[in-house]
This record gives sequence, C-alpha cells and structure tokens, in this order.
Amino acid sequence: MFAKLKKKIAEEAATGPRPGGRMPRSISKESITSIGADSGDDFASDGSSSRDDLPFQLLRRNGQIRKLEAKLSDYAEQLRLLQKTKEKLEIALEKHQDSSMKKLQEQNETYQANRAKMAEGMALALEKKDQEWMDKMALLEKEKVALSSRLNEMMEQSLSLFQKRDDLDELEGFQQQELAKVKHMLLRKEELLGQKEKELQQQARELQTTQSALADAQDKLRLLEEEWHESSQLQKKLQAEREELLGVRLQADKKISEMEGQTREFRDLIQQLSKDLETSQSSAASLEQSLHSLQAEHEVLKLQHEQHKQKVAMAEEEKDRLVLELQEKVSCLERRLQGNLTEDEHLKELLKEKCALEQKVEETRAELLEARTSHAGAVSSLEAQISRLKSTMAELQTLLRTRNESLQSLRENSEVQVTALQLQVQESQEKLKSSEQQMADKETHIQQLQAEWSVTSERLQQQCQEKVARLEAQVTTLEMARDIDRTTTQHRISELEQEKENLLSSKSEMESLLNRTAEELEQARAELDSRQTVSVEIAKALEETRRQKEELQEQVGDMATALSTRQDELAKVTEQLGLREEELQVLQEELRTTKADLSQLRAEAELRSREVEQREAEMEAQLVTLRQEVHTKNQQLDTWQSRVSDLELEVEALTEQQQPSAGGEMEQNGAVTADDLAHVQTTNKELEQQLMEKNKTIKQLQQRLAELKRTLQKELKLKPEMEPEVKEKRQDVKADKPERPEKPCPENPVPTPGPSTTTITTTVTNNADLNDSREINFEYLKHVVLKFMSSREAEAYQLIKAVSVLLNFTREEENMLKETLEYKMSWFGSKPSPKAGGAQDVCLNPTPHAAQPAVLPGSDNNGFRLCLCVGISVWFFLLFCCPGQQGLHRDSLYSS
Amino acid sequence: MGGFFSSLFSGLFGSREMRILILGLDGAGKTTILYRLQVGEVVTTIPTIGFNVETVTYKNLKFQVWDLGGQTSIRPYWRCYYSNTDAVIYVVDSSDRDRMGISKSELVAMLEEEELKKAILVVFANKQDMEQAMTPTEVANSLGLPALKDRKWQIFKTSATKGTGLDEAMEWLVESLKSRQ
Repeated sequence: MFAKLKKKIAEEAATGPRPGGRMPRSISKESITSIGADSGDDFASDGSSSRDDLPFQLLRRNGQIRKLEAKLSDYAEQLRLLQKTKEKLEIALEKHQDSSMKKLQEQNETYQANRAKMAEGMALALEKKDQEWMDKMALLEKEKVALSSRLNEMMEQSLSLFQKRDDLDELEGFQQQELAKVKHMLLRKEELLGQKEKELQQQARELQTTQSALADAQDKLRLLEEEWHESSQLQKKLQAEREELLGVRLQADKKISEMEGQTREFRDLIQQLSKDLETSQSSAASLEQSLHSLQAEHEVLKLQHEQHKQKVAMAEEEKDRLVLELQEKVSCLERRLQGNLTEDEHLKELLKEKCALEQKVEETRAELLEARTSHAGAVSSLEAQISRLKSTMAELQTLLRTRNESLQSLRENSEVQVTALQLQVQESQEKLKSSEQQMADKETHIQQLQAEWSVTSERLQQQCQEKVARLEAQVTTLEMARDIDRTTTQHRISELEQEKENLLSSKSEMESLLNRTAEELEQARAELDSRQTVSVEIAKALEETRRQKEELQEQVGDMATALSTRQDELAKVTEQLGLREEELQVLQEELRTTKADLSQLRAEAELRSREVEQREAEMEAQLVTLRQEVHTKNQQLDTWQSRVSDLELEVEALTEQQQPSAGGEMEQNGAVTADDLAHVQTTNKELEQQLMEKNKTIKQLQQRLAELKRTLQKELKLKPEMEPEVKEKRQDVKADKPERPEKPCPENPVPTPGPSTTTITTTVTNNADLNDSREINFEYLKHVVLKFMSSREAEAYQLIKAVSVLLNFTREEENMLKETLEYKMSWFGSKPSPKAGGAQDVCLNPTPHAAQPAVLPGSDNNGFRLCLCVGISVWFFLLFCCPGQQGLHRDSLYSS
Repeated sequence: MGGFFSSLFSGLFGSREMRILILGLDGAGKTTILYRLQVGEVVTTIPTIGFNVETVTYKNLKFQVWDLGGQTSIRPYWRCYYSNTDAVIYVVDSSDRDRMGISKSELVAMLEEEELKKAILVVFANKQDMEQAMTPTEVANSLGLPALKDRKWQIFKTSATKGTGLDEAMEWLVESLKSRQ
C-alpha cells in the first residue's frame, strides 16, 4: 500500500541531502552555462557567417534579446523570489528569535523553579536519607563490630585449629618416623635371624658331616680293635706256643738229665763189672775152678758178647731207623721249605716241625747219649773184661807155669788140655781178634756213626740253630712286627683317640656353638620379643596416637564443622554485611548520584545559563552580523537592482540601438551591434565571473560556517567532559539549533578570501578527526536508521536501542517505539497511543509533515513507523544539512 | 504484511533464532567472516560504518548474525546491541600486535556488560595466513583469556580469506549453544 511512499521516502533519505544541496547551484550553473553556450555558439556562428545574413542575424539577435529579456525577467523573478524568501526568512528569523527568546525565558524560569524545587526536595530527601543512613550506618557498624569480634574469635579458633593441625601433622610425622624405625629394626632383626638360621643350618650341616666322620672313625676304631683283638689272640697263641716250646725244652732237659743218670748207672755198672772181674780174677786164682769159672765166664762173656752184639745190632738198627727217619724228616722239611705256604701256616708248620725236630733231636740226643753211654760202658766193661782177662790170663799163665810143673804132670794131661786150651785160646784169640775186629769195625762204625751223627747232629744243630735263628728272627720279626703293629695300632688308637678327642672336642665346640647359637637365638628371640613388645607398645602408642589423632580429627572435624558453620555464619554475616554494604553502597551511590545529579544539574544549570548567555551573546552577535548581512544583502540587492537597471538600460540601449539599426543602416548597425555584442559578451562574462565569484564566496562562507559550527561543537564538547559521547549529539543538536537562522545568510559582498581561508585550513586541520568522527557518526546514524526502516521487525526490535541512543530518545519514547513494534509483531493487542513522540514532532517541526500522522491516522502501524522515520529523518536533515538547501529541501518535502 | 507473515511463520515453524554478535577492532575481518559464513565466499568489503545483519543457517540452527562496525568512533554503540545476545564472536587480527592491547581493553569492557553475562565467547584469531601472525595461545594470553571466569570461551585460529578454521569454530559454537539450551 505504502510501498510507493516508502520508496520515495527511502530515496529521499538516501539521496536527499546531496541533490538538495546541489540543486540551486546546478540550476544556476545550467542556466548560465546554457546561456553561455548558446551565446557562444551564436557568436561563433556569427563570426563566421557573412553579412548577407544580417536580417537573419538581426532576427536571431532579436530572438536572443528576447531570450535575454526572458532570462532577465527570470532573473527578476528569481530576484523577486529571493526577496520573498529573504522576507520569509526575516520573518522566520524574527519569529524564531521571538520563540527562542520566549523559550529561553520559559526554560530559564522553569529551570529555576525546578531547580529551587529540586534543591528543596533534594535537601529534604538528603536529610532524611542522611538520617536513615546514619541510623543504618550505626546499626551496620554495630553489626560490623559484632561480626568483627566474631571474626576475631573465629580467627583465633582457626589459628588454634591450625596449631592443632600442625601438632597432628607433627605427631603423624613422628608416628611415621617411629613406624619406619620399628620397621627398619624388625627388618634388620629378620635379616639377622635369617643369617643366624643360615649359620645354624651350616653348623647343622657341619655337625652332620662331623657325625658322619665320627661314625667313620668309630667304625675304623672298631676295625682297629678287632685287629687288635686278633693280634692279641695271635700273641696269646704265640705265647702259648712259646710256653709249649719251653715245656718241650724242659722235658728235653729232664730227659738229658735222666740220660746222664743212666750213664752214671752204667758207669756204676761198669765198676761193678770190674769188681766182678777182679773177683773173677781173684777167683781165677783158683785154677780149675776159675777155669771152669773162666770157661763159664767165657761162656758168659760169649753170651755177653752175643748180647752186646745183639745190642749193637739193635742200636745199629735203631740208628739206621733214626737216620731214615731223620732223612725222611729232612726230606719232609725240605719239601715243606720248598712248598709255598702262608706265613702263618708256614710258621705253624715250622713251629710244629721245630717241635717235632726238637723232640726228635732230644730223642736222638738221648738215644745217642744212651748209646754212647752204653757203648762207653760196654767198651769200658769190655776193656775191663779184657784187662781182667789179660790179668786172668797172666795169672793163668803163672798158674799155668806153676801148673805147667804141676801141669807137666798135668801137661801130659794138660798138654792135651793145653793144646786144647791153646786151641781154645787161639780160637778165642781169633774170636777175640774177630771180636776186636768187630769191635774196631764197630768202633769205626760207631766213629763213623758218631761222625755221621755229629755231622748230622751238627747239621741238624746247625739247621736247628739256623731254623731256630730263623724262627727266632721270624719270631723277633714277628714280635717286631707285632710290636710295630702294636705300636702302630697303639699309635692309631692314640690317633683315633686323639681324633676322637678332637671330634669330641669339636662336638663339644659344636655343641657349645649350638648352645651359643641357641642362646643367641634365644637372645634374638628375647630381643625380638622385647622388640615385639616394644613394637606392640609402639603400636599401642600408635593406636593411642591414632586415637588421639582420631579424637583430634574429630575435634578438627568438629572444629571444621564449627568452623564451616561459623564460616557459613560468617559468610552469611558477610553476605549480610555485603548486602548491607551493597545497600549502603547503593544508597551512597544513590546519594552520590543524587549529589552528582544535583551537581550535574547545577553544573548543567550553570552551563545552560552560561550557554544561554553565550547564546544570547552569540545570537546578538549573529543578529548583528545578520543585520549587517541583511544590510549587505540589501546593498547587494541594490547593486543587483542597479545592475539590473543598468542591464535594462543597456538592454534598452541595445534595443534602441537595434531599433535604429533595424530601422535604417544595417551595415553601420552591424558594426555597432558587433561592438554591442562584444560589450554584451564582456558584460555577460563579467556577470558570469561575478556569479562564479559569488558561488565561490558562498562555498567559502558555507565552509566557514561549517568550521564555525565544528569549533562551536568542539568547544561545547570539551566543556561537558563527564558526559558520554552519546550526549554530545544532543548538545550538537542544541548548539546547532540556534545556528539555524545563521545558515541562510549569504556571504558578505566583499569576500576576504586570504585570511579566512588560512583560518579555515588551520581549523580544518585541527578538527579533522572530529570532523571524521562526526561524519562517521552521521553515516552511522543514517545507516542505522536505514536498516531500522528496512529490516524485519525482529531486527528492528533489536535496533530500537541503537536508534534511541543515537537519536537521544527519552525512556518514554524508546518504550513507545518498543510497544509499537511489539504491537506490530504480535497478532493481537491494542495500538499504543503516541504521546511524547507526536508532541515532540509537533513542537520540533510545526511544518506540515507533522500533520502526516494525521493524514495517515494509524491506518496501519507500518505507516506510523514510516511517519516516525520520516519525522526522524527530516529532523536529522534539518540538523545536518547545509542551511542554504533547507528551504528547497522543505519544498521538496512539501511536494512529496 | 510481510513482517506479519514472517512473524507468523517464525512463530509457527522456526525455533528462536540464535543471536550472535561479531565484534572486533576495525579491519579485523568481521564482515569477511560474516559473508564467508553466509554465502561461503570472500567478498570485497569496505569499512563498515554501521552494521551488517544476516541470517545464517548452520546445522539446522538459525543464527541472526550481527556484524557491527569496529571503528573507534562507533565502538561505543556496540552496547546498544548487547541485549538478548547468545554468543559473541570476537575477531582479532593476529598480525596486528600493536593494537592487541586496545583489542583486549575492548573485549574486557564488553565482557563486563551485564547483558552479555550469559553469552558464549568465541575468539577468532583471524588472519592466520599472514606471516607475522601470532599463535592462538599468544593471542589468548595477550587478550587475557585464561583469566576469565564464569565464561564459556574458546579460541580458534582462522583465516577468513582462506576459509580455514571457521567450520570448527562454528561447530564448537553450535555444540555449546545446543548444550546450553
């Protein structure tokens, strides 16, 4: 519906100021240039054309003149318009002056009244609030004191708590240290125990080895004892054998003594025999008797001889047997000697042989002795018999001689007898001789036998001696061996005993060691026990400490809870305090703000009064200047009018010149007209130059005005520093407001470009950033307003604040905007009534655009918004646009 | 009328749009980031006098992204836009070491605002393609981000012209916005 209108307004808003600003200039330029161009063209064509076309040229000149006249009339109209506008402006100025004065006065009055009221109200409120705050402060201070005391208590408690905590920590540290120590000691003891156990095991092993060694040694001992027993048995046996041998020797000695006794008996027998012989010889004295006896004796002798012979044969036989036996034994001995036999058997056999041999030797010795004695007895008896026989023979011979005489007698008797006897004697001699021979034989044989016997006996003795020696050597060796054995055994026994003793000693040592180790173990155990008891005590102490710790922890917990509760209380109290402080601060801030507001208000009042004064002064100055300007303008107008009149005169002259030329001499006129044309052209040029100059001066004046505005703004900005930047806008606006009437003023007729330009440049350089920021602010505002108008409701709603800040809306205005937007965004609801905005619009712009809401009386909310925006934009343009274009702009607004 | 219908449709279908502000000093690359997010292209920009507002849809979430001009004279107007803001994208020119202090003071002043107490802060360490660019940690330290309390924030290294880092940052932002709802 309102798209067209919106578009237009948007276009206007977008491009409004610039074309508006340029409009008059461009128009004038166009007109002037068009004129110039036309004339230039004409002139150029004129210059080139011939005089044949003079009438045509005249016609054209006429046309030109007409055009010029028309333009002149346009100028006049413009002048008139300018005058009208000037009048209007003057009227407006006056009106505005009046209104501003009125407003100022009203404002002053209201302000002072307000100020008084405010001051009173503020004073009252201040006093009240002061009292309240004092009370509150007192209360708060009391609370604060109480809280601070509590805080102190709490701090003390917390300090004590911290101390307790520290103590606890220390206790825990000690505990841990003690525990570590005990652990360390236990570990060391365990290590010691392990070492001891290892040692024990080693010792047990050694014990076992030693026991095994002992057992071995005992076995050895047993063996040695057995050997000893054996050897002692052997010794006993040997001793028994020796005794036997000794007994055998004794028997042999007895036999020898018996044999000697037999020999003595034999000698006695031999002596008896000799006595018998003597008796016989004595008996031989008796001749016949004796012969008979002799013969008997002879026969006895013969018998004895035969007996002897038998005895010798017997002895021979016995000796032969003995020799045989001896030979057999020798052979046997030789055989035995040759045979390989063990030493013991050998020894035994040897001993046996020795015994046998000794027995035999003794027997043989006895036999020999018997034989010798018997032989000696027999020999001696025989010799005695022989000697007796010889004596008997001699006696018999004597007896025979004696008897021979008797025998002669008897010889004849006896000679036969003698011869017989002789024969007998011879025979007996022969017999004797044979017996002697036999005897010799026997004696040789005996000698031989004796030699043999001696040899054999010697041999046997030698052998026996050798054997005995050997046996004795053997015995000695055996004894030696035995002794050696015994010594060795004794040595061994002693060694073994020593070993045993050693072993026993080692065993005892071991046992002592064992005992010691056991003692050590016991000691260690005791130590351990003591340590355990110590550890138990420590554990108890630890438990106690733990209990203490727990108690302490409980206490700490209690304390902590108490602390926390206290802290909570404290926090609450602090919070309360904070709240109170905040309240206090808020109140103080309120006080401050109210004070600040008051001071601000006062400052503002002062500022305003100052401003008002300044403005009044400025206004007066401006008025003066304006009046001067008006004067100058009037003068200008006069000059313009004079010029116009001049021009009219000139035109008239020209027309007059033309008319005569048209009337008569065309050719003369042609020259004249040419001159006139040149003159016209020059005047035209002059006029153009003047116009250009005026434009320039107008521009310069505009620039100066802008500069003045900026300087004024800057000054105004510098004064109220505490105000944020947003507020400067308002002041700008306010500062701009009184300047508005200044804007339409034209430049003074005589432009002074030199100094003014320098000042301008300096001011420009000084306020370049300000200028930029202002321009940026303007651009920003423009942009925001554009967006506000063009964007969706959701976005526009967000932009309300920006717009209201930029345009310095009051809270009510902002709220109104919000309400309207909310109304538009919502489906239902009633349209809010515009109150402040409309009023402001009316009061700010009493121009017809204030009636636009009336024209579009809330037919749609968009329309309302558009109206509002238009109002804002218009107001904004009024603030920012060049003063020269305002009228035109308004015209354009009217037309729109 | 259009506004009526749009409000009707938004009331019927669309969930509430997330309101995001892109702030930062002038020349940090806010507008480039905005259009990179919206159309995915690098546009030639002029210094923003005023603001740009665009609707960006990302992961079924609609964002109303406001890119406010960052020139010194119009920075005071930022506070006009703070209300109902869900997140703030604070863009920093990583290669501009001289003005990091100003950036920090602006950020701190912004974060002290009551209206932005619940807003999520995403810092874009922009212009990472420049040679002398600071690392995100350096940027974070020079902005004093680690000292922030009661504020969900994250820093990302971005390059609006190269288009790197923006997706991660938006993903994080979406996740944190979803988690906050």
